[in-house]
Amino acid sequence: SCSRAKDVTMPAKLPVNFFSTRSAVIDLFRGQLDYADQLRQDSEIVLYFFYAPWCGQSIAAREEIEHVASRLSDQVLFVAVNCWWNQGKCRKQKHFFYFPVIHLYHRSFGPIEYKGPMSAVYIEKFVRRVMTPLLYISSRSKLLDFLSNYEPGVVGFFEFNASPQPPGYLTFFTSALHSLKKDYLGTIRFGVVTDKRVAEEISLVHSGSVYLHRHANTSLIYPKDIMNFTAENICKWALENREMLIRWLRPHGGKSLLLNNELKKGPALLIFIPYNPLAEIHPLLDEITKVALEYHKCNKSQAAKPDLQHGDSDSPALDSSLRDADLQFSETFPIAKYPCCNTVVLPQWHSISRTHNVCELCVNQTLGVKPNKVHVPHCNFLEIEAALDSFYLQEHTFFQVISNTIECSNFFSFYSPFSYYTACCRTVNRHFLSFISSEKTIFQTPKVAFSSHGKKDNTQFSIPHIEDRNCFIPDLNISSMNITGLSCRTNKTLNLYLLDSNLFWIYAERLGASRSTHPKEFAAIVDLKEEVHYVLDQNQSLVGPTLENFIKNFSVLYSPLKRHLVDDPSVHFQEEHVVTEVTTTTFHQTVFLSAKNVLLLYYAQWCGFCASLNHIFIQLARLLPPDSFTVARIDVTRNDLPWEFMTDRLPTILFFPHQRKEQSVKFPEDFLVNVPNLLKFILHHSSLSSSEPCTKECLHKESVLQQGHISHLEREIQKLRSEISALHQAHDQLEAQLSEARREEQRLQQQKHTLEKQHKTLQLHSEQLQATYDQKNQELLEMAEKLQELADASENLLKENALLRILVASRGGKLQSKDEIKEPLQSEQTLPEDNDISLSTATTAATAALEEKSMDNIDTIETEHSSGNRTE
Amino acid sequence: SAAVQRFLGPLLCLWALRLPAGSGATARGLDVASYRERVRAMFYHAYEHYLESAFPYDELRPLTCDGQDTWGSFSLTLIDALDTLLILGNVSEFQRVVNVLQEGVDFDIDVNASVFETNIRVVGGLLSAHLLSRKAGVQVEAGWPCSGPLLRMAEGAARKLLPAFQTPTGMPYGTVNLLHGVNPGETPVTCTAGIGTFIVEFATLSHLTGDPVFEDVARKALKALWKHRSDIGLVGNHIDVITAKWVAQDAGIGAGVDSYFEYLVKGAILLQDKELMSMFLEYNKAIKNYTKFDDWYLWVQMYKGTVSMPVFQSLEAYWPGLQSLIGDVDNAMRTFLNYYTVWKQFGGLPEFYNIPQGYTVDKREGYPLRPELIESAMYLYRATRDPTLLELGRDAVESIEKISKVDCGFATIKDLRDHRLDNRMESFFLAETIKYLYLLFDPDNFMHNDGSDFDVVVTPYGECVLSAGGYIFNTEAHPIDPAALHCCRKRKEEQWEVEDLMREFYSRKKTKKFTLKRVPDHGEGENAKDPEDASSEKGGEKRNSKKSSHSLLSCPSQSFNSKLAVLGQVFLDNT
Repeated sequence: SCSRAKDVTMPAKLPVNFFSTRSAVIDLFRGQLDYADQLRQDSEIVLYFFYAPWCGQSIAAREEIEHVASRLSDQVLFVAVNCWWNQGKCRKQKHFFYFPVIHLYHRSFGPIEYKGPMSAVYIEKFVRRVMTPLLYISSRSKLLDFLSNYEPGVVGFFEFNASPQPPGYLTFFTSALHSLKKDYLGTIRFGVVTDKRVAEEISLVHSGSVYLHRHANTSLIYPKDIMNFTAENICKWALENREMLIRWLRPHGGKSLLLNNELKKGPALLIFIPYNPLAEIHPLLDEITKVALEYHKCNKSQAAKPDLQHGDSDSPALDSSLRDADLQFSETFPIAKYPCCNTVVLPQWHSISRTHNVCELCVNQTLGVKPNKVHVPHCNFLEIEAALDSFYLQEHTFFQVISNTIECSNFFSFYSPFSYYTACCRTVNRHFLSFISSEKTIFQTPKVAFSSHGKKDNTQFSIPHIEDRNCFIPDLNISSMNITGLSCRTNKTLNLYLLDSNLFWIYAERLGASRSTHPKEFAAIVDLKEEVHYVLDQNQSLVGPTLENFIKNFSVLYSPLKRHLVDDPSVHFQEEHVVTEVTTTTFHQTVFLSAKNVLLLYYAQWCGFCASLNHIFIQLARLLPPDSFTVARIDVTRNDLPWEFMTDRLPTILFFPHQRKEQSVKFPEDFLVNVPNLLKFILHHSSLSSSEPCTKECLHKESVLQQGHISHLEREIQKLRSEISALHQAHDQLEAQLSEARREEQRLQQQKHTLEKQHKTLQLHSEQLQATYDQKNQELLEMAEKLQELADASENLLKENALLRILVASRGGKLQSKDEIKEPLQSEQTLPEDNDISLSTATTAATAALEEKSMDNIDTIETEHSSGNRTE
Repeated sequence: SAAVQRFLGPLLCLWALRLPAGSGATARGLDVASYRERVRAMFYHAYEHYLESAFPYDELRPLTCDGQDTWGSFSLTLIDALDTLLILGNVSEFQRVVNVLQEGVDFDIDVNASVFETNIRVVGGLLSAHLLSRKAGVQVEAGWPCSGPLLRMAEGAARKLLPAFQTPTGMPYGTVNLLHGVNPGETPVTCTAGIGTFIVEFATLSHLTGDPVFEDVARKALKALWKHRSDIGLVGNHIDVITAKWVAQDAGIGAGVDSYFEYLVKGAILLQDKELMSMFLEYNKAIKNYTKFDDWYLWVQMYKGTVSMPVFQSLEAYWPGLQSLIGDVDNAMRTFLNYYTVWKQFGGLPEFYNIPQGYTVDKREGYPLRPELIESAMYLYRATRDPTLLELGRDAVESIEKISKVDCGFATIKDLRDHRLDNRMESFFLAETIKYLYLLFDPDNFMHNDGSDFDVVVTPYGECVLSAGGYIFNTEAHPIDPAALHCCRKRKEEQWEVEDLMREFYSRKKTKKFTLKRVPDHGEGENAKDPEDASSEKGGEKRNSKKSSHSLLSCPSQSFNSKLAVLGQVFLDNT
């Protein structure tokens, strides 16, 4: 019946304005992509905001875009395109998997997709970067400023003399734009120098050379002779070789392995600071980066140099000469033939570490190495990485080796046919260095290079710690330890990361930052492998020295840092519950210091098996005497506990008997958790049982116990009373229901009687009707018979009539012939007339009878209808 | 199989890498309270139009502003929406509707009804309303929660379904006539979920009323399914309940199977039943082995394990929520994030989504405002407090309001590609979608009670602790208080035992040594075991119990890196 209406459908509503008409953003809400392309011709910089009107993220980002547009509308064209409406051009041509999508165009270059946070300041910053991808560096001091920044800087030197544009300049400019495509956070900054004298500061002589500045490592010059001078290559080269002493982490919100990959590299220092990308100066950030630079400044002689701000200590020329000196120095050691060596500290879980824990891994580069422009032996870290890979593949060769001896093996690398590597392994006591050389300067390992290793590796357990061998210097003086170059001297190298607390404060909260902290500054060291984290005392302000101390404290052998235990701040100690809620801070107090037996439930709110036990623990807590028993629970998702008190399954029930708190017992897992079982468990382990003779104290105890019993019984009586009253109520209710039912029954009985009576009368009536029916039927039959008789009679009459006519006719004939003379005609003619009259009366009588019969018939039909039978 | 895997592998990986931008990093946090109010307004927009234009029909037709009967003739939307009213805090309307239902709903009608739908929507809805009625201020009988008008209605409805279970296998028919029982000539083919989705409602009924027949038939049906799983441990889509032959052999976690797995877990939690849990864990292993690819779950042939459809179904989105209940939060979050990308692509979840192609499947483009992804978000938000989950809630509110709101209610989206609307508002929109959305935005709702609040009720069977949290939502989002199951009938014996123990407690000298009672295989151990079943299951179970030293009824505690696993970050090592 409803099939027609089911087919009713309705097309989607027509699109309407998404941005207000007063907005600086041009809103193409019908998805006119062709018009959008036309608009692009008019403006140097264009920002496209592709949205879907139903998308929550588009709606949230709308305001941010409006804000940016209001600030930049004079220089940038903002175009919003509804890329959902299925009649629109945009939807037909583009196929987006999410909204909004932001594309930027710098003249014809583009699209550059913005993938950063949907926050006005970040978007504005990015747009500004697209507007001016290259920074013009006009003077020496500006150059120093540019280079001193913690983010990697690329400088191109182009002499603008004769021709309007020196060769390669456009390529360099494009590469700067290109880098924004790849590196949407814009960490690599591009600058251009036009003055020869300024260029000399960084040893750039020829116009068209490109320089990548690095703080801890050698700065590089783009190897034009090896790689083609294209925008993409420059960008790739800069990305690959940039040094990241400290990195911003900006999770984009979608599924991502960013933290996984970064934290798997080793312990990480996460620094949360509020960051405004548009601000001119970032004093706190500068202070932090200074610490980071110091931390990574490994070359000793370099470290001894005056402040980096003066720039010249960093020039590649000087650096390379230093390197040369180092190389000569190391020539005296046998192992130093191979400049690309790394000490690998084997992770505890690795199988080789059963016999050895430290390996020296050197790549023989006699064939592979190519000295680069600045004459520094270039150590290819891809090779080291490859060596590491094959080293782990070969691990079985180390199995039979007895420790304490140095075992060396040569392997051909799987990845490069020209090089092989040497691995020497042995067990190293933390205080004793068994390698031949400890002082030798080793190539600094850029952690960046190894990050790719971690990313590629699927078997996460094989990611090793890569350490410089200097970390095993036995006479490391802790007390006077300097932060400078510490990253190379410690075996607990930290990776440093920055997070914007305006966006990612939630991670800080997870690590134990208090919600009320203001300003939102926080620092924590996270060691994923060891599953610990340390927190910088939140009462100290986050400044350089405190950060330095924090790093130093982490790095020393017997670290004074304590594992931070995150506490649930939402639990208020004052709140009294039947079941005591324990937190990290109250754990010791409630469980160990209290003079009661404690039953402790480890739970998590999300675990279905825990939540369904709530009522059992509440019952138990109400049952047990509160002065000698505590029923407590701890939410272990929100409260960290020292290792020894942790449990790996939830729910777990522990009982800490009074006076024997250290002998806690666990409720056996294969028993059903219910009140009787828990009571038995407690009784079994409770310290109340004592078989020693009774002393005064014992008597006192006894009386206390009995007091408890009395109060328990009183409670029990109370309960029973209420139970009785409940039973009474139920009884009353039943009684009421019963009487109701009885009344109902009576009423039904009465109804039955009346119904029966009615039934009888009906029956009587029906009998009467039957009788009438029979009677009528009889009458009808009689009538029918009469009619039949009548009909017969009339038939007879008709026959007679016919006979008479024949008779008359024959007589007439005879008479005519006989009595032509005699004419007694009159008397003869009257007879047939009489006959006719009688016939007509008979017919009328018959019709009347028929009519009567039909009337009767209707009557019977009516009565038959009422009795329900349909007979004809 | 390997070939298909190889084929799918790179495609799926690409999928995981196709990351949406910037969602976690909005400058301002979400205004939870304002979204909560918007959800409330959505509820009343739909509810009032139902009452006005469609009651007493089952459902509202939002485009034509009238009503129609769909699953029977029991004012279904009203029954389904009843407990949502209370969750929204509307006590007076709850009370009014309870009266309306008591007077107006009759199950003695000549209607062919789906056994499954009637159970989850009608029996489930009435049971939860019964258990919540005291909280809603309804004057309850003295015997509550063991008696009451709504309970009697639920029992009445459930009894109408019992004839369907009279089959040689114990697996029920899919359809039953409420007046005459199973129709002669009724098809014996029932979907797996239609067989295995009774234990939560039926066990609750049995515990409350004291009549074991409901729980018994539900268990028998579950065991029959378990017995007929394939050699590689999977179940198909449809089975003949007379011959026990699999008619549709696609195995997966979605349509046709979904709530079977859900009820194994929820039944195990509700009844503390290891047997149900061990069944689920075995299935879970097979599902991981054969159907899981890169945090997606595909459809495979139940005997061979070969991929038959590389498709994600809207109905499958309940899975992360279920995983979070048993503590598999990392995997749950990873799968959830995959599903969320599909929502972002269309503004809803298509019934079928072809994963390698990244687009909808022909004739399966609709989104009838289903709740499953929101349901998972609610469970996961409890576990992780990840703002990403609130963002899904925000997206759902914005999408549903923008796309499907019409003058008379909210209309099913017929086609997600162009957002054409259909003339239907399913009753689960008010029962589930709105409820889970509201609960996501209302972290202090009594439904989220973690056990710090509770009620004490004195019944003729003794004192009872109720409303202590841990509510089990049936598959139509009707909450069942697990504490209520311990309240009626069986309670006296336990009380006497406790009383004995307490006496012992206060006597100074311990006379007895206490030995704990082993957990019986069945939840409460009263049910005699079917000997045939017991022998056939022995092998599997023994193996299982030997291997795992920990209790089946427990969750693993979360790893260290879970602290940082928010805003889309996932960690790889703990699998």
